[in-house]
Amino acid sequence: MPASILQIEDLTIYYGKALAVDGVSMMVEDGETVAVIGPNGAGKTSLLRAVAGLTPSSGRILFREKAISGLKAYEISRQGISLCPEGRRLFPELTVRQNLDLGAIMRKDHKKVKTDLENALRLFPVLKSRAGQMARSLSGGEQQMLAIGRAMMSDPELLMLDEPSMGLALMVKESISTSIVEITKAGGTILLVEQDAGMAMDISKKIYLLENGRIRLEGTAQEMAGNPHVKEAYLGIA
Amino acid sequence: MVALEILIYGAVLSGIYALLAVGFALIFGVARVINLTHGAFYMLGAYITYALSVLLNVPLILSIIGGMAIVFLLAICLDRFIIERIRTTMINVLITTLALSLFADQVILQIFGPDNRNIPAVISDRVTLLGVDIAGQRLLSLIISVAVIATLWLIITRTRMGNALLATAQDPEAAQLMGINTGRMFMITMGIAAMMAALAGGIVGSFLTVAPEMGMLPIIKAFSIVILGGLGSIGGSIIAALLIGYLETIVAYLISFNATELVPLVVIFITLIFRPAGIFGKRRGF
Ligand SMILES: Nc1ncnc2c1ncn2[C@@H]1O[C@H](COP(=O)(O)OP(=O)(O)OP(=O)(O)O)[C@@H](O)[C@H]1O
Ligand SMILES: [Mg+2]
Repeated sequence: MPASILQIEDLTIYYGKALAVDGVSMMVEDGETVAVIGPNGAGKTSLLRAVAGLTPSSGRILFREKAISGLKAYEISRQGISLCPEGRRLFPELTVRQNLDLGAIMRKDHKKVKTDLENALRLFPVLKSRAGQMARSLSGGEQQMLAIGRAMMSDPELLMLDEPSMGLALMVKESISTSIVEITKAGGTILLVEQDAGMAMDISKKIYLLENGRIRLEGTAQEMAGNPHVKEAYLGIA
Repeated sequence: MVALEILIYGAVLSGIYALLAVGFALIFGVARVINLTHGAFYMLGAYITYALSVLLNVPLILSIIGGMAIVFLLAICLDRFIIERIRTTMINVLITTLALSLFADQVILQIFGPDNRNIPAVISDRVTLLGVDIAGQRLLSLIISVAVIATLWLIITRTRMGNALLATAQDPEAAQLMGINTGRMFMITMGIAAMMAALAGGIVGSFLTVAPEMGMLPIIKAFSIVILGGLGSIGGSIIAALLIGYLETIVAYLISFNATELVPLVVIFITLIFRPAGIFGKRRGF
């Protein structure tokens, strides 16, 4: 049985008095892609932010069997969890290259950084031709690619992506799906948040459906694709 | 002749202003903190240099470095124990740093009294430059300002730490996701800026008055420079420091020395009314 890389137990998040995530438990295993789907406001972003240490939460979060709840975001990042956040959050007044370099700023293995940079640029060739351009001047799709590339540059053990296909044209969406599949093929572990349930099912092994801050359903991609509720509400099939 | 005097004296003044304003802008740019103790750091730099060199006979250069070191530590404590807790509320930061700055003035007043003090010059000879007779120390202060600001610029644009600072300035949360300890970045910024202010205090002490309230006017000047240059912009504050330094020098020569203190205030009014984002318009990271 593969080791669990991330284990979340009874995670609860309040914003003031408002309950956003309510007792969520889930698990991500080494080398697999796990997706969290659900409607707007379900708590998907809150969940990823809590794991990354950006949003306070209660419950337990274990990374490689070690509790990481309560650590600062930069400490969690240094332990090997990388979040590509909602809204991309690039450094707008820095170049594409500087943004990528910042992803690797804490790393000491400079040789591997070089090959990782080459890999990221192979995955997203457009970033290579834009290397000297300010991040703010990129198109939405290019910005999304840069955000993913930057998150990969820390060579994370767990890569978390918050709606990487948000607002992108179909073709760009597909190329992002392809890159996610490639990252997994290369041995990467991914926790993906996606509103596009179809895309999530194409590229992930396991799916959690989050509604109103709770796990409504969980299962393999096939199981979920066959579920009547999922079919009706998320795949648009009656 | 007057033109050359204005050129040289204006450069000296601009250099000192830039040394103060760039630090002030750096703190705002990286940490979004308007630090009103900045003038107190300048004043403390002067008084510590005075106490070490005149009262304790420590060599002057060591005294200036001692002043910078002590102010650096004070600034780091200020950030760590006070500003860290109130950073997100601008009004708390303003009131607290203003109060601390007045407190520092009072402490110095109690210890040293209200009399003006004088710090000896590192270079006490006068020199002639382009036919203008000038105190060696003034020229030294210009050279030091240029060297310090150039070094800071290189650190910010060329080093790993500089990259981390730029990232923190543009999006602290995203910077944390890169593994950057942003709290440490804020602290280092505060320390560096305070050290620059203390250096300014230590070197001007031979040709400007050293008195407990000496930090008040510079804070207004730093403020006007930073507003004119665009809040947080280092390049903008260097240029604005030059503009205000020269404006004051020109006013001193052509109108009256007493009118110079009006210059920064007029600049604040005019900028805020006609170009509230500063000469470079939209804020752009640095
Ligand atoms: N910073 C915040 N302060 C207060 N409430 C918040 C905050 N962030 C999120 N919420 C609330 O928490 C709930 C969950 O939000 P969250 O952003 O996690 O949803 P989401 O599933 O990511 O939605 P979307 O698909 O639209 O991105 C929402 O009701 C939202 O209004
Ligand atoms: Mg979201």
